[in-house]
Amino acid sequence: MARVLTDAPSGTRLAPARAPKPSIGGRASGPAPSSRRGRRRGANEASGWQALLWLSPALLLIAAIVIYPAITLFSTSFSEYSITGIRKGDAGFANYAGFLSSPDLPKVVLNTGIWVVAVVAITILIGLALAQFLSKDFWGRRVVRWAVIVPWAAALVITSQLFRLLFDYYHGTINAVLLALHVIPKPIDFLGNPPLLMASMILVGVYVSLPFTAYLFVAGLSAIPTDVYEAARIDGASPWQIYTTITLPLLRPAMLIAVVLNMIYVFNSFPIIWIMNGSNPGFGNDTLITYMYKIAFKSAQHDVGVAAAAGVFNVIVILIAVIVYVRLTRTRAENPS
Amino acid sequence: MRKSIRRGATLALASVAAISLAACSTNGSSGSGGDSVKSIKVVIAEYSPDNTAKFWKAFAKTYEETTKVKLDLQIISWNDIDQQSSTMVQTNNLPDILNLNTYASYAADGLLYSGDEVLPKDTAEDIIPAFVNSGTYKGKFYGMPDLSSARALFYNKDLFSQAGIAKPPTTWDEFRDDAKKVTALGNGAVGYAQPLGPEEAQGELAMWLFNNGGTFKKDGKWTLDSPENVKTLEFMKGLSVTDGVTQNNPGSTNRTDGAFPLFEQGKAGMIVGFGPLQGALDKDFTGVNYGIAPMPSGNKADPQTYGVTDYLMAFKKKGNQDAVKQFYKLYYSPDQINTWIKAEGFLPVTQSGLKSFESEDKLKVYLDTLPNIHLTPTDDPEWDKVKLTIQQNIGLAVAPDGDPAKFLKDLQAQAEAGK
Repeated sequence: MARVLTDAPSGTRLAPARAPKPSIGGRASGPAPSSRRGRRRGANEASGWQALLWLSPALLLIAAIVIYPAITLFSTSFSEYSITGIRKGDAGFANYAGFLSSPDLPKVVLNTGIWVVAVVAITILIGLALAQFLSKDFWGRRVVRWAVIVPWAAALVITSQLFRLLFDYYHGTINAVLLALHVIPKPIDFLGNPPLLMASMILVGVYVSLPFTAYLFVAGLSAIPTDVYEAARIDGASPWQIYTTITLPLLRPAMLIAVVLNMIYVFNSFPIIWIMNGSNPGFGNDTLITYMYKIAFKSAQHDVGVAAAAGVFNVIVILIAVIVYVRLTRTRAENPS
Repeated sequence: MRKSIRRGATLALASVAAISLAACSTNGSSGSGGDSVKSIKVVIAEYSPDNTAKFWKAFAKTYEETTKVKLDLQIISWNDIDQQSSTMVQTNNLPDILNLNTYASYAADGLLYSGDEVLPKDTAEDIIPAFVNSGTYKGKFYGMPDLSSARALFYNKDLFSQAGIAKPPTTWDEFRDDAKKVTALGNGAVGYAQPLGPEEAQGELAMWLFNNGGTFKKDGKWTLDSPENVKTLEFMKGLSVTDGVTQNNPGSTNRTDGAFPLFEQGKAGMIVGFGPLQGALDKDFTGVNYGIAPMPSGNKADPQTYGVTDYLMAFKKKGNQDAVKQFYKLYYSPDQINTWIKAEGFLPVTQSGLKSFESEDKLKVYLDTLPNIHLTPTDDPEWDKVKLTIQQNIGLAVAPDGDPAKFLKDLQAQAEAGK
């Protein structure tokens, strides 16, 4: 962020466009401090195994909770399992073939696309507006800021269950209110009608993603120096011009983080879909994540091998999506049209 | 500074040790070695938050006192137990006793003790033959029943009298007419609460199937798409699609959070219920004036009852045979099993249990039918998958654009392909 400060006053459009670099560089800069540490180690005569001892708790933890499960997932996906979970032998690529040829897969992939794109896009749009609001000084701002955190602090399972109760056909508050106001003649089947269910799930997805996103943007906004705005105002820029040519470009680092992290969170979101879609038959409303769980434990396949193949597929899908997004924003940042 | 570094190093070393220890301890009781185990792991499904833990904790205490073997108790909700048990098998972290609604797949995989190995003789003879049958896979008794339940038609007497219906229906035509009359009362009344969502749809299907002369499997052959069954499922679909006498969207209604609440709030005229629903009505929803009747018949035959039993299966592990035998001996002793079944509102699985429950008027409807009860073919491992397909897909078959005949045909093909 410090570099933004020094770059920005130059006032050209190119400068803010280069702004994302620090954040990308921030991640890539990992090796730099370690090499510095390496030099200091040499001076201190601390031996390699001593360093390893210090690192070992972290390394062991990483091995135990990241690497070991990843290897297990991978080897599971190439094994044949009985319904009870007993490994019967090697499966080769049969699990992958079985998963990819499943007739429900296209619909599930489509659902996943709609779910991720809609939730992330709407969250970003509302998050930007909300961040503007939250970064202004007004009476009671502290209360509002706290209120925005609540959906984030509540457990997803509980939030989803609450929304399920709100949307319920017979006992739901929303239907009760609409009926009492004579807006609708009979209840709306929010949870049983596929398009309405998707819309309801997206609403909940946005609701729980907003706090994090809005606060990310609040932090991004507060890092923009006020003199840039002053200069723009002196030059006679309209508020909209200021927003689109100064605020938004300077928010790009925050935007990149918000989009990438939200994409991953939303893609991997399980409780909202699992609970809101809990009483529906079939796989017509599932995303890749809930579909994977159903393959493993709830569908007639009941096969952890195929589910593991689905898990590997999911990781690849989200990786590709993130890489494509980062590439797109980077090329746009490097060649502003 | 030096000191704090050394202390830090010790800390680091300690946490390394802790992590590696934790990694080892997942092997659990199987690592105890020796001739016979010092502890057994018992995994139980939670039937109700109030009674399950209470009974099993007391049971564990008695077991430990009599056998000097430690009983590690783990109670898991029905929602999670499929996943958890599958993970236990997959990671070779087997329980000694597992409580589940299926057993045949585990028996087929050679994981279980049979009754000859772990059941005391008088205990084995006490179990009601119908349940021994359903627990027998390839001639050996693997699926020891823990408790049972039977289904019957519950009806709301107040709604019935408002609609001018004198007695519960005995045929499907009467049933449909009565459901229409109750629905016509308006004000949110639902003629029949029909749960065909993924939770327990095979139960609802079984109840109607058996009362139209149908079965899932007969003489060793799957009969899923028999003409009777097609007619039955079409009738079930018709209740919502053409007659409009059910609640909204039965294919997306689960039993415990969808259909039961409608009956408990006095909104539904009829529902297929069982002991625990009766318990809830008597305890928490006393405003509902209900009656219990045998199911109406679709083929003018006597009403049939569908029964369910769950299992307590024992996993073969080195040195645990004796401890497992002691477990069954204690569990099937009348003051243990009957206390438990009474608390949960279910039905007995033993002859001695039948006798001890005889005096309970509330249970008479079920007890009379218990020895001739129809069970699902849980003795066939293929049923475990057929059941899952019914649960996931029957809701689509009874939707307005669903095709019951095709659904049953596909189901039959799936079951036969599994052979």
